[in-house]
Amino acid sequence: MISFLLYVMRRVFQNIKGNLFPNLATIGIIAISILIFSAFTLISVNLTSFLKVWEDKIEVMVYLEKEVPSNEVEELLKYTRQLKGVEEVKYISPFDAMAFLEFKLGDQKSLLQGIQPEVLPPSFEIRLKKEYRNSIRMKEVIFQLKQVPQFEEIQYGQEWVETFSGLVHMVGLTQWVLGGLFLFAIIFITSNVLQLTIASRHEEVEIMHIVGASPAFIQIPFYAEGLIQGLLGGGLAISFLYLLHKVFLLTIPPSIQIWLARIPILFLPPWTILWILIGGMVLGFFGSFIAAVRFLKYNA
Amino acid sequence: MIQVNHVHKTYPSQIFALSDITFEISEGEFVYIAGPNGSGKTTLLRILFGTERPTSGEVFVNGMDITEKGFHKIYSLRKTIGIIFQDFKLLKNRTVSENIRFALEVTGHLRKEAESRVSEILSWIGLQGREGDLVVTLSAGDQQRVAIARALINDPPLLLADEPTGDLDAQMTNDIMGIFNSLHLKGTTIVFATHNIDLIKRYPYRTIILLDGKRVDAKKEEGVKVRG
Repeated sequence: MISFLLYVMRRVFQNIKGNLFPNLATIGIIAISILIFSAFTLISVNLTSFLKVWEDKIEVMVYLEKEVPSNEVEELLKYTRQLKGVEEVKYISPFDAMAFLEFKLGDQKSLLQGIQPEVLPPSFEIRLKKEYRNSIRMKEVIFQLKQVPQFEEIQYGQEWVETFSGLVHMVGLTQWVLGGLFLFAIIFITSNVLQLTIASRHEEVEIMHIVGASPAFIQIPFYAEGLIQGLLGGGLAISFLYLLHKVFLLTIPPSIQIWLARIPILFLPPWTILWILIGGMVLGFFGSFIAAVRFLKYNA
Repeated sequence: MIQVNHVHKTYPSQIFALSDITFEISEGEFVYIAGPNGSGKTTLLRILFGTERPTSGEVFVNGMDITEKGFHKIYSLRKTIGIIFQDFKLLKNRTVSENIRFALEVTGHLRKEAESRVSEILSWIGLQGREGDLVVTLSAGDQQRVAIARALINDPPLLLADEPTGDLDAQMTNDIMGIFNSLHLKGTTIVFATHNIDLIKRYPYRTIILLDGKRVDAKKEEGVKVRG
């Protein structure tokens, strides 16, 4: 077994050395294809992470009619707390709202001079349960809130949530559409280059058939070559993407860095990297398999 | 050793290459397949070697029906058959020993074992001291010796030779025929395709004659004695 593996490695090395340029070109094209796919994966990972951070902070603001008497506010508070999907409800009186506004305005709080807190409506700050903090399930809670006539206005950043979720969905879709296209491209390119490799070694292959080499001895080195091309292409793509990620982080202006402090820009998780490398190897293998089926059988 | 029963071979273009060929070759025999160019000698050897399938008929080699549908162990059978071609089929940019060792390596022999076998066979074939020479630098006769050495490296009981002396001059032909005679005396079964009648006269063995894909020697065969 070890001698067979050594034989395979020797043959792969000879094949790559003997067809250096086509092999480098294949590795390069695989690397570019995987790099584009991985870049979309990285964008998708970061957008999803950003969406999760944002969703964790998702809250619904309900503004009550100004005329609602305080005893009714208590009832409404109780009612809202027991709604499906609601985790916590905080009552914000007009005075609390004014204090919040003053705090937000800071040095410019003088702008509020002469304005009575009563002009501001009382409100409920509703924190949703974790599983409801997304654009789809949040609507279930909103629907229940809309049934209450005393609730004058409900704000929940619907457009933001829907647009952002749509963006994440689009990036994910693009990632997989491109992934599908590159899948065929990689198989096509690898199989064609390996056909060139096989053709350039047709004398050896013919002699192998003549002397009674088994299909494993003839074909496995070519399969291994495809696997190695895929692995090297994938490895190059991930390394280059890592470099790009680092350069991107270094070039972010400090003002944006402060804003981004709460939202880390992630690199691909180890498992994703592993799957991309395995994917590259599998595609390389398929390419070589197609080449072997098309060429080696013909010569058998 | 070899049994060929009513073999026909027709190519897709409806050109027939062999028609109703039947013969038997016993173990240790030396048999010529003779005939002019295009008579079907090479097709017959290719069928015996399993690189072509007959359109109809049966072929048994070493007791195995190689025409049987689903016969997938042709590579195992080929380890027991040595084959030599007129154009040698050597790796021109490799040395003598690399060419021979290649046959051992791709059939699963260890490198160390291959080294000793190569030096043994080169010594027997008369190429000792030329191990490191590139094949392209050798004469045609020596290239054919390398091809014979490669064919014999697995010690096959059957040797198929397709016009092995076709491109050689008289002296080289004699040298190569000397090797074939030695092999025959050692008990190797040899099937030797040639169009050279003089060669057959000089080294007379049983001869199967083909003409336009048909066997034309059937009556004569009874009178031919196997030598050796």
